[in-house]
Amino acid sequence: MLSARRILIVFSALLPIGPATIGAAQAAPRQPGELAWTIGYDPKTFDPAKVDDEESETVRYLTAGVLLRFNRLSQKVEPELAQAWSISPDRKTITFSLRPGLEFSDGSSLTARDVAWSLRRVLSPVTAAPVAEEFVSPAGVTVDAPNDKTVIVHLPQPVIAIEKVFDEIAIEPAGRPSEGRVTSGPFVVADYRRSLYVRLHRNPHFAEKDSSGNPFPYATGVRLDILENTEQEIRLLQRGDYDLIDSLPPDYFELLRKRAPALVRDLGPSLNTEQMWFNQAPSSPLPAWEREWFQSRAFRVAVSQAIHRSDLARIAYLGHATPAYSFISPANTVWYNRSLATPRTGLEAAKTGLAAAGFRLQGTVLTDAAGHPVKFSLLTNTGNAAREKMATLIQQDLAALGMQVTVVTLDFPALIERLMHTQDYEACLLGIENVDPEPNAMMNIWLSSSPNHQWNPSEKSPATPWEAEIDRLMNLQAASAMDSERKQAIDRVQQIVADQQPFIYLVYPNALVAVSPKLLGVQPAVLEPRLTWNIEQLRIQGAR
Amino acid sequence: MRLRYPILWLLLGLFVAASVIVSMPGAGYARQDRDATLAPASASHPAGTDALGRDRLVRVAAAFLLSLAGSVIASALTTVAAAGVGTLAAFGRASMGWSSMVVCDVFLALPWMFLLMMVRSALPLTASPARSATITFLVLAALGWPASARAVYHGALQLKSSDWMLYARAAGLDRAGIVRHVIPSLFHLLVPQFLITIPAFVMAEANLGALGLGVGEPLPSWGGMLFELNNSPMLMQTRWVYFPVALLVVVLLLLEGVAVEA
Repeated sequence: MLSARRILIVFSALLPIGPATIGAAQAAPRQPGELAWTIGYDPKTFDPAKVDDEESETVRYLTAGVLLRFNRLSQKVEPELAQAWSISPDRKTITFSLRPGLEFSDGSSLTARDVAWSLRRVLSPVTAAPVAEEFVSPAGVTVDAPNDKTVIVHLPQPVIAIEKVFDEIAIEPAGRPSEGRVTSGPFVVADYRRSLYVRLHRNPHFAEKDSSGNPFPYATGVRLDILENTEQEIRLLQRGDYDLIDSLPPDYFELLRKRAPALVRDLGPSLNTEQMWFNQAPSSPLPAWEREWFQSRAFRVAVSQAIHRSDLARIAYLGHATPAYSFISPANTVWYNRSLATPRTGLEAAKTGLAAAGFRLQGTVLTDAAGHPVKFSLLTNTGNAAREKMATLIQQDLAALGMQVTVVTLDFPALIERLMHTQDYEACLLGIENVDPEPNAMMNIWLSSSPNHQWNPSEKSPATPWEAEIDRLMNLQAASAMDSERKQAIDRVQQIVADQQPFIYLVYPNALVAVSPKLLGVQPAVLEPRLTWNIEQLRIQGAR
Repeated sequence: MRLRYPILWLLLGLFVAASVIVSMPGAGYARQDRDATLAPASASHPAGTDALGRDRLVRVAAAFLLSLAGSVIASALTTVAAAGVGTLAAFGRASMGWSSMVVCDVFLALPWMFLLMMVRSALPLTASPARSATITFLVLAALGWPASARAVYHGALQLKSSDWMLYARAAGLDRAGIVRHVIPSLFHLLVPQFLITIPAFVMAEANLGALGLGVGEPLPSWGGMLFELNNSPMLMQTRWVYFPVALLVVVLLLLEGVAVEA
């Protein structure tokens, strides 16, 4: 995840992992009470303000002290270094009150001056902190520290879910950025060997304590081995060398389940979605009749109705995915529309809908009213086995309607060139990785003027009344201060999308993890980091 | 070639068996039995099924037929082109011989994998799997002729300076007459070239398929099935996943054997 509030189209090609590449795992012996797991590559930075890649974010999460923490399990914001906070009625001023007696890992005091300095550093264009853009207009944000315990942040304009931004900002000693060596979080960076491991030590001055008054974190340290080999990772987990795997592909999950069923856990649907869509862009070089099919609601709904989503989940994800009908996953407990009405599925319903729209089945070939045979290509990215399987399953499902689908796999650069620039494609199957449950983070997909409005990018004005309504509702929820009004708007957008099927949602891949039975305190959450979000509470059995 | 050679009989036997398997009623290489994915060997699926529930035996048989037919046709085209270029280069003007061999060298130096990738990406997206298979083999043929043309050229040069050719030219045999006599005299070169190129093309198509550049789904190909071997969890689920690669090795050995016998 590049940023906890960003939505990413999954650009990773997910190259197959060969069984022969055995890296230099277990480069250092485990120290008493130390937790160990793997990260896929070297963190690009240890500077918490400059984090822009997943593994750097892992280190930041483990080391950074933050004012507020977004609880991955309850999906609510909780105080951490701040004992309380308040937002003004105009939502432009946030006031934090710091806990008493805060210290950095080197024993120096942590005051409002340090907080203000850390926030200003993140907001400064010189730092080029990726998180700054989440303030929308970072240049206009000012930070005051009227006394040692109070910090006031003034925003030029209200920002939706602003509290969660502070979950990503590490509080460092004023004027002494240390790249994680001096922190106010549970751990500090103690040692880093390129391509081998990152070792973190416990921060003895961490502010939080358990209900009995014992200091957090329980673990003496964390060793993150740099290893990109899932097979070796699960072998070392089985051997007890590692304590957890935060994310597993379905085939490796099944492999481990057969070997050691007690280690694996399927947490149910993740926030991520897999979907297909048709190119409706008027500027695309497609024949006019094809564009007419793709712009037809009846055509899109019939395709959606004919796809056996349960087969996609069962076969392409070995049962570790959940059929999807909305852009918001049921794992997103706050925003998922539980009363969503979806079109009736099944082949007969699809055939009826197509016939009503003028399509005719001539022998085994479906033709439109003008006699054009319905055939199109379905693009997906090379190397993603689950997507390739889904595309082939959909090919057969749609063949039952008389549609001739050609499955084409392209490498990512070629795919993006077609999607974003030439728009020379008919249909596409890809996934969206949602790392933030906040639907406002999806504005770039739903606003018709956005270049990421994939089925018809960068519309000068909404092409259809329902796209205009989505624009209106998304803007309404972005401007509203009332959670109930926002929820109502997002529920309505979900219903419009289910009715119109501009994206035909297929599955939510499940969140798959593995945990050693010796690791205590684990409370798995669907949101990342799934197993280590409560890192301060984790410990190895018998270690204390 | 004599059919009494056991290698050829074995190859023909495989061909007949594969033809029978793919033409059996109910046998469809694209047919998905979604309730029997990665199924073990059974009476209904003698070599089990793949990850989408497709009969592995039918797919391997179809891949064998497709690969063999494509490679034989591509090899025939290559051999005809090599015979034409090699003969013309040897019996044409000296500059023609020289320039033809330069063209051959250029073709041999081409990064054929990138060329194939370019050709594949230039294909219209709606190109059917059959069309993409045809184009794949045509591109292989277009890239495969220079090595054979070089061999033919050198054979034809020897013929050109042979005693009987000197006598024939001294006796006034015209150019068409020369070609009429030269081509049959080059058969001893062309037939091995033809036979050697077939397994090379089978292998090339398998390599391309394993890189995701060959024949499109749902049409089966060796390469597409070898691609399954890239997934180590699957390797541990069923040993039948090795069946395509085992048969490919057997077929390549038989094809090489035929070439050696010839």
